[in-house]
Amino acid sequence: MPVSYEPLNVNTDVTTTKTILHEVIPLTGSIVSGTYSDQNIKNFVHGMFQSVYDYPYLSSSANHIFDLTAGYDESSVLSSSANVQNSKKINLYNQFSQVLLGYTGSNNVVRLFENDLTLDSTGSIKNAMIISFSRLLTKDQIKKGSFSLQLGVGSYDLPHNETVTLQDVSASTTGDGTTSTIGGDYGVLYATDGVATGSIDYATSNGPAYGVVFYQAGIAILSSSVFDQSASAGFGQFNSGSFAGDSSGSTGDHPAIGCSESLSSTSISGTCDALRHRITNLTFNNSTEINSTIYFCRLPVNKFNYSSNPTYTSGSKLVVKNNASDLPVSYATTIGLYNARNELLAVAKLSEPLKKTPENELTVRVRLDY
Amino acid sequence: MAFRKFGQNDIVLNTMRTFPAAEFVIYDSQVYYNNVPHSKGAFSDNILGITSSARGAISLYEYNVDRAGTSSPQPSGSGFAITTGDNPPITPFISKDSARASFSTAGKVSYNNEFQYGDILTGHYPLTASISRELMLAPGSRRDSINIRTYPNEGSVGPGSGSAVYPHFYALKNRLNHYQYLSMHYAVKPRSGAWNKNTQPLNVLYIPSIFYGTEIKPGTVSLKWYFTGSLIGELKDTKENGELIQTQGTGSGHNDKVAGVVMYNEGIILLTGSWALENQKLGLTVGSDVDYPQWKYFGAGALDGVSVTTAYPTFVSASFSIAFQGTTEIQTQTLFTKAGRGQVNYSNNPTFLSFNQDPMEKSGSQIYEENPLRKIKNTVSSSFATFNAPFKRQVYVSRIGIYDKNQNLIGLATLADPVLKEDGQDYTFKLKLDI
Repeated sequence: MPVSYEPLNVNTDVTTTKTILHEVIPLTGSIVSGTYSDQNIKNFVHGMFQSVYDYPYLSSSANHIFDLTAGYDESSVLSSSANVQNSKKINLYNQFSQVLLGYTGSNNVVRLFENDLTLDSTGSIKNAMIISFSRLLTKDQIKKGSFSLQLGVGSYDLPHNETVTLQDVSASTTGDGTTSTIGGDYGVLYATDGVATGSIDYATSNGPAYGVVFYQAGIAILSSSVFDQSASAGFGQFNSGSFAGDSSGSTGDHPAIGCSESLSSTSISGTCDALRHRITNLTFNNSTEINSTIYFCRLPVNKFNYSSNPTYTSGSKLVVKNNASDLPVSYATTIGLYNARNELLAVAKLSEPLKKTPENELTVRVRLDY
Repeated sequence: MAFRKFGQNDIVLNTMRTFPAAEFVIYDSQVYYNNVPHSKGAFSDNILGITSSARGAISLYEYNVDRAGTSSPQPSGSGFAITTGDNPPITPFISKDSARASFSTAGKVSYNNEFQYGDILTGHYPLTASISRELMLAPGSRRDSINIRTYPNEGSVGPGSGSAVYPHFYALKNRLNHYQYLSMHYAVKPRSGAWNKNTQPLNVLYIPSIFYGTEIKPGTVSLKWYFTGSLIGELKDTKENGELIQTQGTGSGHNDKVAGVVMYNEGIILLTGSWALENQKLGLTVGSDVDYPQWKYFGAGALDGVSVTTAYPTFVSASFSIAFQGTTEIQTQTLFTKAGRGQVNYSNNPTFLSFNQDPMEKSGSQIYEENPLRKIKNTVSSSFATFNAPFKRQVYVSRIGIYDKNQNLIGLATLADPVLKEDGQDYTFKLKLDI
């Protein structure tokens, strides 16, 4: 029970503030594919997506880090009723595009993902691979301008011999370089390094765009065309297995099939496996908003110079005074925040006691995060 | 959609109290929490990233599972991260601003002096909590005071009047004396003069509150001392007053003796018992000294610097177990939502009405009139083939929405299975919300 209360003036003693806490999230290809022999990959009976964990998922310590899936719009040249899981691939594409982009036109058709910020129905990504990150990793949102994905675009056996790096280099935390949609803000993933069409000087140019990243939703959409930029991955080496229509002309078990062929002829999980096989590095920073209320608790000169602690007195004398003429002194260790009915709501502890005498005034800044 | 207001007795606030059990096993300077082994991963020796020597800890959030390497933001905080290693860890960072938020890795002085506004401060995951032990041979002892102007020429000027050797003891003295209303054994120095905790060796075990919640449940504490795997003594707080009483041991002559006390609210166990539990000496302290197993050495190896390399090798013959139940309180709001007879008998779901009916009676520039003759689909199940059961008004309740006084939806309860509600039935749905 305090000896006295000091009222807080809401105009001068209370303020609010906001802090952004970030985390660097690195995800390397070695855990996405390889180290744990796919024991950290969970496939489902429905076959519509696969979940990736940071440790074998049968361990209680494993955290879900992202889901992978693939699909295409029904207007894509790949769409065919003869394809494996054709309707699921179309439905998945539509689901993500509906939720993230919504509808357009008088007929309310679902928007398609585009390799730009204009949403003008040009430059559409009709064949997509989708990475949906766990909320554990993205928190409030992916920090704009921090997303970097390095993909191996070499042959199936040596995928990382050639790489391409996709980054949202044009996006900024101010909102520049992004577009706002019903699914939140998104930025474009440009090739900034590695193999690309033609000879691009990455020192002066970003290179072409191969996808988008939705910051608040924590979803990256990759165009399948990113794998068409290298002679190896695009034309027959994206995925394992053989395929009658293999554009490389190869038959037998090897050297496999191209990205477009994988999207149409293999299951969703098969394409996801091939994509994981090609993730070299993935990093981004996330953001968490921490809202705070700051209370400036003022200890005026003539108050709080006494303590109700039982050890403050001994034999009816203040133990902190040597002579009767000495000024009273107290050591503040705790600050209680009370409501209007003097009910204790919160307690703030000081890291070390503060000396308070009738000769000094103190202002203690109490921050309440939530 | 109709709204129904909660009545006076429809909202109940309860507190649910739970008693989570915790057990620590201490052996060979390793601590095992709830019998969970220390798992080695592909990248790190401990997949939870608990790097302290004892490792019996809780990893908050269990972030950074099996990670090794480094990751950091760009010095400016913007742009792409810098990483090394095959599986670099998640690293938190924050920019110094006027809110003055910081990590504990940047101390008060460091934060003020070494960082400018806009600088990046990085933290570290995982955040862990472990039990620890402190053996205070003479708890109340103080260091010699010195005159810093003349030191070292004049050496100490005030023998035994300097800072406390064991400041934790001084921090606990008031609380120990406060708990005398529970038991005299808490007293630092009782009036009878039977003991003086200022001078007797004190074995203190610290248990972070994340392991027990608001308090350790009285009557649940059990400390067991094993010698080469055999139980040689057990302490329990059988009286639920904090006294740790020996209930069994090889030297049964000491049974029913009080060997220490538990501070339930603070999560601290203090042991002073100094009778031999076994007639064979062990290395239980740092150095080459050996002594009989006694309660004052209980827990040796729990983050206290005692290990097989720092103590006499027979140290590995000792192992210990600490078991208790914590207390956590969860406030629970129970809401009784009532769907009375003759109420909640309509659905806005389009399939509630029979298919292929014209929804509109007439429409024009001045009027829009719904078709008043639309029929509700008969969903009554018939027990016979080729026979339709007669129509009855019924709905399937699948969700319950909670609205505030401004009719904003603030909560949604979804039933595991839709509940059939016939027009003449009363239903009460019990919703529980942990807060």
